[in-house]
Amino acid sequence: MDLDTLLSYKWGVMAPEFIILGVATLLSVLDLFMKKEASRKPLAWLAGAGIIAALVSVFLQLDQEVTSILYDTYRLDFFSKAFKILLLLGTLLVIVLASSYKKEEIDENRGEFYYLLLAALLGAMMMASSADMITLFVGLELLSLSSYIMAGLERRNKRSNEAAFKYVVSGGIATAITLFGMSYVFGLTGETNLFLIVQNMQDEELLKHGFLLVFAFFITFVGLTFKIAAAPLHMWAPDVYEGAPVPVTAFLSVVSKTAGFVILIRFIIITFISAPAAPNIDGEVMLLQVQPYVMALAAVTMVIGNVTALRQRNIKRMFAYSSIAQAGYLLVPFVSNSSLLFELIWFYLLAYLFMNIGAFTIIQLLTTQAGSNDISVFRGLFKRSPWLALPMTLFLLSLAGIPVTAGFVGKFGIFMGALGLEPAHYWLAAVMMLTTLISYVYYFNVIAVMFFRDDEGRKISVPGGMATVLAFCAASTLILGVMPGLALDFFYGNFDINEFFMRIEEVGTHTH
Amino acid sequence: MLQMSWLIPLFPLLSFILLVVFRKSSNENTAWIGVLLTGASFVLSFGAWLAVWQGDGIKVEGTWFQLGERAITMGYEVNPLNALMLVIVSLVSLLVHLYSKGYMHGDERFSVFFAYLGLFSFAMLGLVLSPNLLQLYMFWELVGLGSFLLIGFYYFKPEAKAAAKKAFVMTRIGDVGLFIGMVLLFWQVGSFEYDEIFSAIKNGELSQSMLTLTAICIFVGAIGKSGQLPLHTWLPDAMEGPTPVSALIHAATMVAAGVYLVAAMYPLFQASETALTVVAVVGGVTAIFAASIGLMQKDIKRVLAYSTVSQLGYMMLALGASGYVAGIFHLTTHAFFKALLFLAAGSVIHAVHTQNIEEMGGLWKKLNITGPLFLIGALAISGIPLLSGFFSKDEILMSTYADGKYGLFWIAVIAAFMTAFYMFRLFFLVFTGKPRGSQKGVHESPSVMTLPMIVLGVLAVVAGYLNTPWFGTFLTDYLSQGPVELLHADHHGPVWIPFVATAVALLGIGLAYMIYQKGSVSRDWLTRTFPGLSHVIYNKWFVDEGYDRTVVKGTTGLSWLGVWFDKYVIEGLVAGVVSGVQALSRLGSEMQNGQVQSYGTFAIFGLVLLLLIAALSGGYFS
Repeated sequence: MDLDTLLSYKWGVMAPEFIILGVATLLSVLDLFMKKEASRKPLAWLAGAGIIAALVSVFLQLDQEVTSILYDTYRLDFFSKAFKILLLLGTLLVIVLASSYKKEEIDENRGEFYYLLLAALLGAMMMASSADMITLFVGLELLSLSSYIMAGLERRNKRSNEAAFKYVVSGGIATAITLFGMSYVFGLTGETNLFLIVQNMQDEELLKHGFLLVFAFFITFVGLTFKIAAAPLHMWAPDVYEGAPVPVTAFLSVVSKTAGFVILIRFIIITFISAPAAPNIDGEVMLLQVQPYVMALAAVTMVIGNVTALRQRNIKRMFAYSSIAQAGYLLVPFVSNSSLLFELIWFYLLAYLFMNIGAFTIIQLLTTQAGSNDISVFRGLFKRSPWLALPMTLFLLSLAGIPVTAGFVGKFGIFMGALGLEPAHYWLAAVMMLTTLISYVYYFNVIAVMFFRDDEGRKISVPGGMATVLAFCAASTLILGVMPGLALDFFYGNFDINEFFMRIEEVGTHTH
Repeated sequence: MLQMSWLIPLFPLLSFILLVVFRKSSNENTAWIGVLLTGASFVLSFGAWLAVWQGDGIKVEGTWFQLGERAITMGYEVNPLNALMLVIVSLVSLLVHLYSKGYMHGDERFSVFFAYLGLFSFAMLGLVLSPNLLQLYMFWELVGLGSFLLIGFYYFKPEAKAAAKKAFVMTRIGDVGLFIGMVLLFWQVGSFEYDEIFSAIKNGELSQSMLTLTAICIFVGAIGKSGQLPLHTWLPDAMEGPTPVSALIHAATMVAAGVYLVAAMYPLFQASETALTVVAVVGGVTAIFAASIGLMQKDIKRVLAYSTVSQLGYMMLALGASGYVAGIFHLTTHAFFKALLFLAAGSVIHAVHTQNIEEMGGLWKKLNITGPLFLIGALAISGIPLLSGFFSKDEILMSTYADGKYGLFWIAVIAAFMTAFYMFRLFFLVFTGKPRGSQKGVHESPSVMTLPMIVLGVLAVVAGYLNTPWFGTFLTDYLSQGPVELLHADHHGPVWIPFVATAVALLGIGLAYMIYQKGSVSRDWLTRTFPGLSHVIYNKWFVDEGYDRTVVKGTTGLSWLGVWFDKYVIEGLVAGVVSGVQALSRLGSEMQNGQVQSYGTFAIFGLVLLLLIAALSGGYFS
């Protein structure tokens, strides 16, 4: 590739990534030169400012048509824009949480959290914008490696160490599985570019190896369930969520999960949407052939998450299982190949972002001030601090999917999607409905503890930054519940789903 | 007037918001906020009803949001059916607000109680005003939330807390059905709106099996909310809430919502003979089943609770037997006389501070307003001629007979006998005879409590004249303006039915009189004659125990399994890794030191998992 080709690319489309990369580099340099005892809060503000700048540049790109540079390793299409907004917004809120996170054990100022967070974000954003297996994988690893370190950031906390350790090991296994699956895809088609893979799949010769393709699908799919914390690679979540510092838990449960869905959709949908049917199995196309299996995985995820959450006394573990369950709901439109797949997952992830980060804000406040992760930290919260109890109630209602909250609209949409297909997926919808019912029990248990228990505990003081996050999340959860049109019209107005499948012949003078 | 009807639910919402703000105020005048704002709702509802009576109506809708190609709408609608419901709900809510001013006097969380009442009234009125199923469903859930808060109001009592949770989860089981039915209808019709669904049904756009399926799904929702068999067990437990709550939620509004739902979706049910039969059978069986349990209960509110379940069964029976008008008629009269009975029971409890009827007795003279009012309510529910319950129950029997459901007809007649018996058992044990238990300082309730009861007492007498064979069928004419084709509304049933109904009612009262007043029949006559049966009845047919042994145990078992797996398999693996690491390093090392070894262990586990999946799918595809 010569210099002319390199210069001919529209590098401007990568502006959000460049901003994040620049800020992360700047932060790491600043951190080096800062006095050891100096507060690292300015770094948080700088990181936040960088994310806002990146967010603005994504919004400025909304009108831009689908663009591809560097042989499709970087794509700007509706999908990358829509999901980058979620990733950036989620990380922004996590940064505010992190800047107010104090624990007595930490007696030194740590700056690395902020640039690790930005590095993780960068990896997630690259995944959203890539249509090549290699860059997808590199993005995934960037996100993972940064997350492993973040989980273990509380160096003197054994649990935090344990969390990081378990996270790395299970992450390694997941990576191995994913790569193994991807190697099948590469071996069968000889390409890493997703669109070229699709082209090569139409080959007559490949039809003979149809079942290998099914293998490849299963292995990659299972590998990719790690990031979203869905069965069968969900087991790391409770331990890691419990041990990691709360802002990291919030990041893992929201941003990292969103990123997991990003790569899952990008890779699986593009690669396998027109995969030929394997011999000896019912079904016209491969995605329909494997559907019963992946639907079973979604159902198992919903059941495990919700049923096990019932018995948790530790609030962070409970939210870990809750997050597994939510991943199960989110898988429903994906595995049932709903035509509303993109908007349903996007909207639910948006709603999930607000309700879960909001809930983690309060969890962080209560657990750090009480020094315990037991559910009893919520006792009598309504009497002590009604302005914490009311938003928490809202977040829990939203997670449970009670009307007038964003969570209800999200769940309602998913349900509509599952039953609106021909044939309708009755049993999957029923599993979702019944597990939702089970989830009422543990969500309402927290509400009952807040309202129906008395406690003479002290009032909780709320730092300004967290109060802002809380107000923002609560307002968004409510507004999206009352006027979901705001988000959905934005989605339909700015995004064209067809862009996702559009292959752009590269402009420029290169020969491939 | 009708243009302003969207304000009707907003007044109680405003009351809720204001009272949450003032929740810490110890000034009990905060109750007037609730009373005045609910009063405003009632005035508007009454106005809307008058307008609809004159043939008016309104429907306003707009797009809520767009999902794919489909628009989801929101709005409000006033039609004959829901105008009537609006009046009932807002009136009972107003009276209960007023009554609670006296009943809740001195409670530490006085203002909070009124705030919850406001929230509940808002949700209930919103439910009734909804022009489409989705909106109805949303308010339906909110109603459940309001009732959760109200039933659990005395949260320091563990029973109240348990009852609140039970009510919430039990009714949710029904909601699963409603939700599925609703979404299925949407994909068949392309809309949640009643009108569009009805016209699609009329045009034959839905297959017969789909009609039956969706109707039954929706009916499952009604079963949960209206406490029909087998999802009724939450209702008697919900009596742990304050008594005014029982009058509001468990007599006139929330439990009636299930009946309202079936009535509102009536064209769907009419299109499926099977669905109608299911409704009728569930209703009829519930009517006699709950009445039989009511015979033996010792708690005054529980008797009334089972009586409510039984009467709701009557309403379902009527709807299932094509007696649309009869069902709604009974819904109306029942709202008044049952609210009256609950409020009167509350007045009795207020006076004697117990709910056990064995500890009451001889209260007629001491409670000289409550007593006669309770008697009116008891006579009305028993179906004594000239009172409201007589006319509506009569109409239900007529419809059932005219529809050819003779078995259910006789079940309803027997249930009517039981109703009269348990109501007067209650009356005689509470108000006549000698005082049992300590009754010190018993006095009549303040006028703020008796006034609402008097209003309901009047209505319990006169509401029956809405629809009589003698004075005119106002209600039938009124409801015929709606979208439902009325059958059996012509009152050409056999002439003997009213006489049979009156006879069994008198027989029931007479038997109660003989046993509990005169004592000429031994009180344990029933127990002695049918020992096995009465044991079963006293234990409420063991339904709760049945649930406990199957569903609850099953779920906890499953949960236990999950925890076990987590604890022993996952944690065990981790513990194994950790202890292996520690054994290997032997230097009291921290976990980090052993990363390589544990990585290996996990990798093998992962590989096994991978091979398993590969072998499984490979075996399948070979």
